[in-house]
Amino acid sequence: MSARPRPSATVAEPPPELRFRRRVRLIPSLRELLARRELVLSLAERDLRARYKQAVLGFSWAVVTPLLLMVAFSLVFPRVANVSTGDIPYPLFSYMGLVPWAFFSTSVSQGGQSIINNASLQNKVYCPREVFPIASVAVASVDGLISGLVLCLLFPIFGVAPAAQSYWFPVLLAIQVAFTLGITLIISAVMVYLRDIRHVLPIILQLGLFATPVAFSLDQLVPAALQPLYVALNPLGAVIDGYRDTILYGQQPDLQLLTIAAISAVVYLLVGYGAFKRLETGFADVA
Amino acid sequence: MSPDGSIEARHLWKRFRTDRTRMLLRDELERLSNLLRREHSSKRWRWALQDIDLVVRPGESVGLIGANGSGKSTLLKILTRVMYPYAGRLEVAGRVGALIEVRAGIHPDLTGGENIYLYGSLLGLPRKEVAKRFDSIVHFAEIESAVDRQVKFYSSGMQMRLGFAVAAFLEPDVLLVDEVLAVGDASFQQKCLQRMSDVIAQGTTLVFVSHDLSAVEAACERGFWLHEGVAVADGPVREVLAAYRGAVEERAEQGASPIGPIRVLKAVAAGEHGTPASSQAPFEVTLVLESDTPRSTSLCIGVSDGPASPFFLVRRDLFLTSGETEARLTIPNLPLPRGRFYLWGSILDADGRDLLTWHPVTHFDVSGPDLDPTPRGVMRLTPIHVSAELQVEHR
Repeated sequence: MSARPRPSATVAEPPPELRFRRRVRLIPSLRELLARRELVLSLAERDLRARYKQAVLGFSWAVVTPLLLMVAFSLVFPRVANVSTGDIPYPLFSYMGLVPWAFFSTSVSQGGQSIINNASLQNKVYCPREVFPIASVAVASVDGLISGLVLCLLFPIFGVAPAAQSYWFPVLLAIQVAFTLGITLIISAVMVYLRDIRHVLPIILQLGLFATPVAFSLDQLVPAALQPLYVALNPLGAVIDGYRDTILYGQQPDLQLLTIAAISAVVYLLVGYGAFKRLETGFADVA
Repeated sequence: MSPDGSIEARHLWKRFRTDRTRMLLRDELERLSNLLRREHSSKRWRWALQDIDLVVRPGESVGLIGANGSGKSTLLKILTRVMYPYAGRLEVAGRVGALIEVRAGIHPDLTGGENIYLYGSLLGLPRKEVAKRFDSIVHFAEIESAVDRQVKFYSSGMQMRLGFAVAAFLEPDVLLVDEVLAVGDASFQQKCLQRMSDVIAQGTTLVFVSHDLSAVEAACERGFWLHEGVAVADGPVREVLAAYRGAVEERAEQGASPIGPIRVLKAVAAGEHGTPASSQAPFEVTLVLESDTPRSTSLCIGVSDGPASPFFLVRRDLFLTSGETEARLTIPNLPLPRGRFYLWGSILDADGRDLLTWHPVTHFDVSGPDLDPTPRGVMRLTPIHVSAELQVEHR
């Protein structure tokens, strides 16, 4: 037992064959995430409870926000632009786009900051880090669920009934969630290293609202020839148009666009998750 | 696979960047231009851990000691998998419970009860398991009357007790504890140490980081000393602690300023007439001091087992003439057990200002009876030997 500190000036590099390589494999990572699903629920519950604990209106905020936007859109857009909505009242038309958009926007803005905001926590306790952005998406989906339930009131008010083609809803929802999750994961991981995103993100999301067919239909936004490319980049466009086609107009969704959107959303999710797990290794050093 | 509760870390290296503090665009551009000109300077990295080997058997208790910045917390973070090493191999078998900062997982807007469930699931405990332990956690944390209150209205002591209680009742295979006992009052520290020794008794492996050396000695059987990222000593806790204390004293001795209004020319601490010091015997401290001017001062002499806080302190008025003065302090009955001890001293002027700062003056060895062994998990406050006789009368 040597009792004297060795001088640290003679520091050598570790031999290269000792370099620590963290192998990230998809299946074990997913299995670990599945094992910690209770943690995702607990974190989402924490965020929900904490968010509405001292707000007088409480959970009704989830309803009030899209409703106010719907009123604002209905006052502005039909006057400024000629939005043809067929025989569907414009408020219902825009609300149908606002709910998925609000889900996406809340997920990305809250989930994007989730790693940084929980930095003190994850510097102390080990858990798969993706639980934090996923919990944020879970919180946003509770909001989305509540504002979706408002449709039950809006349909009778405007004298419209959901069409039989609404059975497409689960497919559309799956694409929407996959895309949102992929973007949220990648933004949250990159933001740890590049804090500037925190300031740019709100602006990008504002612009995204108008680059996505929320206030108008996809045909009005993008010429038909470019639609496949557009949908590959932004699957949300096909999803929102799909909701309107099926639930409001009772038509089949554009299957070509929907397939592109589905493939694109899966790619977004896989790339986002892969990038997240890769960047995760350095979180504790930087955050 | 190794058995649950074992840790096997081989050749761990970890480095941190020393230049990435501002993250401004200007710095990044500079970095890019350096990269283009192929100028790599190794000064931009600092090694936090260098070639650390730590192998722990299941059920063993290891105390990590070392000065601030020596890499203890980094090593612990790597063991919890919060951080990844730069090089090396690491295997930690079984469920790991980390108590790295007790209040880390507590959310202020939630109630105490909600926090117990959240923190439990954060540490990997299913809800059912938390519910099973809920009452004992609440009881241990002494928050029975406040379970349904938001934690931000708790006192900081209550928050800390809550955090410790949840982690301590997790019953992991490996428990990593980092300096969590520094907060909290003495009776709660005692309770935590007691709980830790209960956990060890159940076969849990413990890695304990603390600057409180007597707590390390009480809780651990093995010591591991890190200095600037290098493992200096690894062995039985008493030996490692003794070596560490010696190094601390050596550094403090070097730090004492030789120039000043008063200098210590000679210092001897021994028994009567220069014989070796022994327990319960007379003890003499002889100091030869040199002063520039005559002045009335007061002399403080203390004895410790290394750190600056002494077991006991003697303060006497002392008049120094200009030139040399010999001061002899006699303690008739030395209350110390066998071992090595350090004599600390300082000299103050009439207003209580330092003329000579508090520093280790010399060390001495005491012969005599060993200190009675302390039960594990019981904090040792001062290792003063007190002669005691137990008389038992059988009728």
